[in-house]
Amino acid sequence: MHDLLSRIFSAATLNETLRTATPVALAAIGGAMTEHAGIMNIGMDGMILMGAFFGAYGSFLLGGGWLGLGLAVAIGILVGLLFALFVVKLKADEFIIGCALNTFAIGLTGFLSDSVFGYNGGKGMAALPKLRLSFLDHIPFLGKGLQGLSVLFYITLLLVLVLWLFVYRTPYGLHLRAAGEKPETLRTAGISPEKMKWIASILCGITCAIAGVYLSLGDLEGNFAKNMSNSRGYVAFACVIFGSANPAKAYLAALMFGFFGALGTCLQAYISPDLTAAIPYIITIIMMVYVVLRSQRRRRLSHRKEQVA
Amino acid sequence: MKRSHINTPYLLSLSLSILCALIIGALILLVAGFNPIEAYGAIVEGAFGNGRHIGDFLEYAMVLCLCGLACVLAARVGIFNVGGEGQLILGAIVACQVGVWMKGQASWLVLLCAAIAAMAVGGIYAFLPGILKVKVKVNEVITTIMLNTVAVCLCQYLAKGPWKNPNKNMVAATDKLDAEYWLSSLIPGSKLSTAIFTAIILTLLVWYVMTKTSGGYEMKLTGQNPRFAFFSGIKTDRLILLCMVISGAMCGLVGMFRVYGAEHIYKSSISNDYYFEGLMIAMIAAYEPLPVVGLSVFFAILKIGADELQYIGIPSQIYQIIQAVVIFSMAAQSGILSWLKDRGQKKQARLAAQVRGGGKDA
Repeated sequence: MHDLLSRIFSAATLNETLRTATPVALAAIGGAMTEHAGIMNIGMDGMILMGAFFGAYGSFLLGGGWLGLGLAVAIGILVGLLFALFVVKLKADEFIIGCALNTFAIGLTGFLSDSVFGYNGGKGMAALPKLRLSFLDHIPFLGKGLQGLSVLFYITLLLVLVLWLFVYRTPYGLHLRAAGEKPETLRTAGISPEKMKWIASILCGITCAIAGVYLSLGDLEGNFAKNMSNSRGYVAFACVIFGSANPAKAYLAALMFGFFGALGTCLQAYISPDLTAAIPYIITIIMMVYVVLRSQRRRRLSHRKEQVA
Repeated sequence: MKRSHINTPYLLSLSLSILCALIIGALILLVAGFNPIEAYGAIVEGAFGNGRHIGDFLEYAMVLCLCGLACVLAARVGIFNVGGEGQLILGAIVACQVGVWMKGQASWLVLLCAAIAAMAVGGIYAFLPGILKVKVKVNEVITTIMLNTVAVCLCQYLAKGPWKNPNKNMVAATDKLDAEYWLSSLIPGSKLSTAIFTAIILTLLVWYVMTKTSGGYEMKLTGQNPRFAFFSGIKTDRLILLCMVISGAMCGLVGMFRVYGAEHIYKSSISNDYYFEGLMIAMIAAYEPLPVVGLSVFFAILKIGADELQYIGIPSQIYQIIQAVVIFSMAAQSGILSWLKDRGQKKQARLAAQVRGGGKDA
């Protein structure tokens, strides 16, 4: 038992938590944008997969991790535009479009991967750098946990901050939140809620593409495997709900998901790895139940307050 | 009741969508450097080329149709069962293990027990998100998707651990069923088995209940306007839960059919996201039972045909691309139509305003 505890609270666990959480967090902060704009975005999984493939393909084609990231982001913008075209402009059911986008991404990336890389997937393209910061060596516990993380981890932290400022500290963020909550009020103020939805979709496309690039070029050496997003997009959606669409809280939720993933790795010595792999997903369900119960309790409390007043 | 669901506009928009998808598929094939006419020819050839393939695509159509109907049943009352994949594979592995445990018993008894076990497991696995949706109002889409992954992990564990077959070569698979328990094959060499007769009866039953009975009407009412349904005396919560459980049980049964009819063993290839394809079909069919049947056959032909593409060097995923584009165009068409109508109405309103304004001036 002592052995297990020391393994759980180790620098390696911290490191794995951060590594597992990053792609989910990236997708979740994008999902927070669409959630604020009042779009239920189920299609994040497909967006991540597209990012993963085009990141790997860009790196393979252009010979550099950063160029791969550039291509993936460009494609991510296109995917965001496509999503908004159907959901906002053509007013199609966002659930159906999200599911279709996921299937489309599986089909397209699988097709292209088979045609470009061959049947076994792509390996060995240039990845993005991992940061080895010398000053971290002097910090006892944290240093070891933070050492050797992908540069995208730091970009994620930056994006969380930027998007948080955008949503809560700029007039555009106010418009974005109004687009989801009170679209008619926003329209009366002379701002089109549709425009904010387009912007949110594009932002979500970009962050999901970076999440995909993290999978293919960030964490491991450059590789692409079919369906490598592995329902992270759905987990990200749960994180968005759990964090009430606040980018910072969504990031914390993703960290929690990452921690339970790392916990599963620790428990592998005792339980079959096939069972431990299920832990984060079960936790996600429990998280969802908790969120709903919490919001119901809040509503009841505020109702009671009104009655007292 | 009017025969409104297979109307001409629907068929027209469906055929337009399929045409559009085939054109986009052809463009992608062209860009990737393949000859689209050759590819589509190979798909048709692959599906109808010999009896074995015809049997295979009929079996696949049966799986898609039952999955699609399971989704339709739940969607009718307003709950999306995205977790059919998990219910299917759990049903499959339990049904298979029941067959292994009951070795030596009469085959009708084994088949009956396996079917009941598969349906019970699928139903229970659907009950969980169902009760969370009804009692706690947790979004069922997320819970069912998470439960899918949990089911995959669980089946992987069972097939590698306690229920593993003695054969060392197969890493994650249960024991093979005795040949006497196999559902007899209808076309030798193909996966088509007598399960298809049960599937046809089930399909007719679902169609009958949904369109011809008061229960079906209550389902429709609950899905379209739950509050109205509740206040007109329908026990909506119970109905939603019941439909979800039946939907799960159907998915479990599909798993049992896959094991006893086609594969005769549980391994991870028992279902390759088959339920998701059924879900797509249910969406394209706008949650009507009859179009589900037709579309299942169409997509099964496309899928089994596309499998043959690999032999001429074309990736078979073109099938998924075509399927997704059909959905995109179906979803977009209603949008385009309403957009055009909107514009027409605005134009009329403007004209009317002009006329009225002119009248005032005079």
